[in-house]
Amino acid sequence: MSRVPRIAPRLLRQPWQTTQREGATAVAVLRPTTVRLYSTTPARAHAAQPSGTGSSVSASEVTHFTNLASSWWDPHGPSRLLHLMNPLRHDFIKSCLSTSADSAAVGPERAKKYAYLDIGCGGGIFASSAARLPSTSSVTAIDPTAEVIKVAKEHQRADPLLSLPGRLNYVNCAIEDLESHLKTFDFVTLFEVIEHIDRPSTFLRQALNHLKPGGWLIGSTIARHPLSYFTTKVIAEAPWPIGVVPRGTHDWDKYINPSELRDWFAKENREASERGEEDIYGAVKVEGCVCLPLVGWKFVGRSEEFGNYFFGVQKLR
Amino acid sequence: MSLRVASRPSKYLCKSCRFDLSRARKRKYGTSSITSNPQDIYDVVTVGGGPVGLALLTALKSSPATSHLRCALIETQTLPKQKSWDLPPDQYSNRASSITPTNQSFLESIGAWKHLDLRRVQPYDEMQVGDAGNDASIQFDWKAEAVRYNAPLRTVATMVENANLTRALLRRLEELDAEDCLLSSSSVASIGNGIDDPEGLNLSNWPVISLNSAGTAESSSTRQIAARLLIGADGINSPVRTFAGISTNGWDYNRHGVVATLKLEPQPDSPFSSSSSDPNSALEDFLSDDTQTTSTSPSQATNENITPSNRATAYQRFLPSLGGPIAILPLPNNHASLVWSTTPQIASTLKSLSPSALASTINAALRLNEVDIKYMLSLPSSSDNEHDHESELTWRLQHTPQPPPARAPPMITAVQPHTPASFPLRLRNASSYISPRLALAGDAAHTIHPLAGQGLNLGLGDAEALARCILGSVACGADVGDAMRLEGYSAERYGRAVEMGGGVDVLNGVYQMGGEGSLSGDGVVGGLLGRMRGLGMWVVGNVPGVKEGIMRRAG
Repeated sequence: MSRVPRIAPRLLRQPWQTTQREGATAVAVLRPTTVRLYSTTPARAHAAQPSGTGSSVSASEVTHFTNLASSWWDPHGPSRLLHLMNPLRHDFIKSCLSTSADSAAVGPERAKKYAYLDIGCGGGIFASSAARLPSTSSVTAIDPTAEVIKVAKEHQRADPLLSLPGRLNYVNCAIEDLESHLKTFDFVTLFEVIEHIDRPSTFLRQALNHLKPGGWLIGSTIARHPLSYFTTKVIAEAPWPIGVVPRGTHDWDKYINPSELRDWFAKENREASERGEEDIYGAVKVEGCVCLPLVGWKFVGRSEEFGNYFFGVQKLR
Repeated sequence: MSLRVASRPSKYLCKSCRFDLSRARKRKYGTSSITSNPQDIYDVVTVGGGPVGLALLTALKSSPATSHLRCALIETQTLPKQKSWDLPPDQYSNRASSITPTNQSFLESIGAWKHLDLRRVQPYDEMQVGDAGNDASIQFDWKAEAVRYNAPLRTVATMVENANLTRALLRRLEELDAEDCLLSSSSVASIGNGIDDPEGLNLSNWPVISLNSAGTAESSSTRQIAARLLIGADGINSPVRTFAGISTNGWDYNRHGVVATLKLEPQPDSPFSSSSSDPNSALEDFLSDDTQTTSTSPSQATNENITPSNRATAYQRFLPSLGGPIAILPLPNNHASLVWSTTPQIASTLKSLSPSALASTINAALRLNEVDIKYMLSLPSSSDNEHDHESELTWRLQHTPQPPPARAPPMITAVQPHTPASFPLRLRNASSYISPRLALAGDAAHTIHPLAGQGLNLGLGDAEALARCILGSVACGADVGDAMRLEGYSAERYGRAVEMGGGVDVLNGVYQMGGEGSLSGDGVVGGLLGRMRGLGMWVVGNVPGVKEGIMRRAG
């Protein structure tokens, strides 16, 4: 891999070190961060720690999102891009369902209703939109940042449909705290989350534990490429009027490439076959998307190699 | 922590948009006392049961993706009476509109078109436009395309009585089993906001409408309903727009539109007869229809230009010194609808004339030069001299050069009694078509000059766009009243309305300059202006693509 020239003191990161927030001036080192996904560091016991400081959660991330909480639902605020991306999330979910291994749709009326687990729900942009769909039975949405859960619950109160009992449930916790509800969800969603996680491999395993057989893990993240550094750090985090998100929102080192995800799931399947079992996961479905000024988000073929993308994996058994 | 827009105002918005957003919770109309959140919560509440409001409700209910939304439509008039509207075949309502092909497709797609009484509907394939100030004329039609592609002639637009359209939409709603959405004979007493109930929901940015329903003579009830999305399709003085605090820009034209239903002289193989005319005899007329010649002999007809005859023709003649154009729009069975935009004085003169005098005056307006028309308008309208108008017309016609038969407007034989009426002409555009949980459509959003027949068409376009916006929101689980989702509707329709309203305003201004005795003065300047307009009309009619471009944009 090529090296980006250094222009400022930078971090040499080992997989066991937590990320430090440096802002836009930090220059990332291009190193094989496949190491990030394959870290075998066990999750720290968190019994003595309050919820939200478990192994998947970074304190600096929590602080950052606490500051963003009050503007989450401002349509012209820093979260505008997330609001604009939301319809694409639903489009991607529909396209995953149509390729589903058990997509024997029973006539025009699909009586099946889906249960969602939205991890890292933030202020509830996706969770609330999923809860409104007629095909949804329930949404459980979790986030380690207390302030954003408060914002999400306030937003829920402003909508009678979301306030129906059992429809939408916000919980302030991390994924490892969710011991119950194993294997009870049709969808586990991770939108713009995994790039904020220190130990993505452990995190993914925990998330996948909650999927029913036949359920889908669906998420979105950003590929680690010099172009994504330019667009998400240099441009998007630039000062007003160019920038669209606050500084420190993203850490380029934590981005994960589609190929790394594919390798990870292939490895899981390989280990299963070594044990004499069938494949656990189906093929990883990936769709790149690009945010164009004045147009918004659009799916763009092959853009997953250098920008934002959606990924979907079905748990076969 | 209360849910609110970020306390530091967004840098990305201009001052007036920021103001609009923060005002959401302070909006009100009338004096409303809302002490608790209503139990009755609707997804989409439309105020206004005209064609635009009804078309929107029909579009929502006819699409499977949005038919589950809980909708209400509030209308002060008695809608069941409008569903049973009926007129004999030789009488037509004086409120008729010209529906473009795009809107016809929309009405077909929502299943309303088939409920029209199609015998009372007149598609027309040609529009003849002339100017009393010069010899220029232009024909808007799709004949060139029909010849080039050897295809049937495309409709320019279709004349439909408003009552026919309303009835068709109500019948479709009955077919969809959606009549319980109609809150007929109900008026909006006030509009306020819900409350933030600490033990329940926070509906503080939900509009809450207080309705007065006229029940029986003794009992009338008031109820309050909350709306996830409130739509104002309630006309030029929209209470919903007032609630939103949205200002309007525009001016009064100081003109009135005089409407009436006319009976025409049937011509042999008249294009106004409801059966399709004999292709051969009408053919020669249309083959001679080119700009340079005034008459052609049948032998000049060639077989290379065989175009199908058109079903009907609409006529418009600009009268620069009389305040605006006169238009004759075809209806079936040798009837037509009159729309004459003119000064308030002339409008009241016209309304005071006897039916036969009015018929003669209209014929004069279509054929004579402006000095003669002005003279006719100055004739006393009392019933003693009933034949004065007619004889004046006959005498002056002998001395006025007439357009060739293919372009000649029809002779009016009678005016249907009780149909002459007038309404003031105004230009209005709302400064915004949306507000959080609120959208405006139709005349509530924009009112324009009728000279291009686009007012209702813009409104139906709004209904279609708004229904599509709501469908998009439902498909991705969004709140249908979400301000960000409504931005798409505003972006699509705002520019369109400004373009159309501004365009007809400019045209109206241009066509009142010059002409004998007009404000620009007689003589050299007036004559020059008239000639320039004539050149403009020639350019539009003869430069390839310009005319088709205009028709495509308007249709």
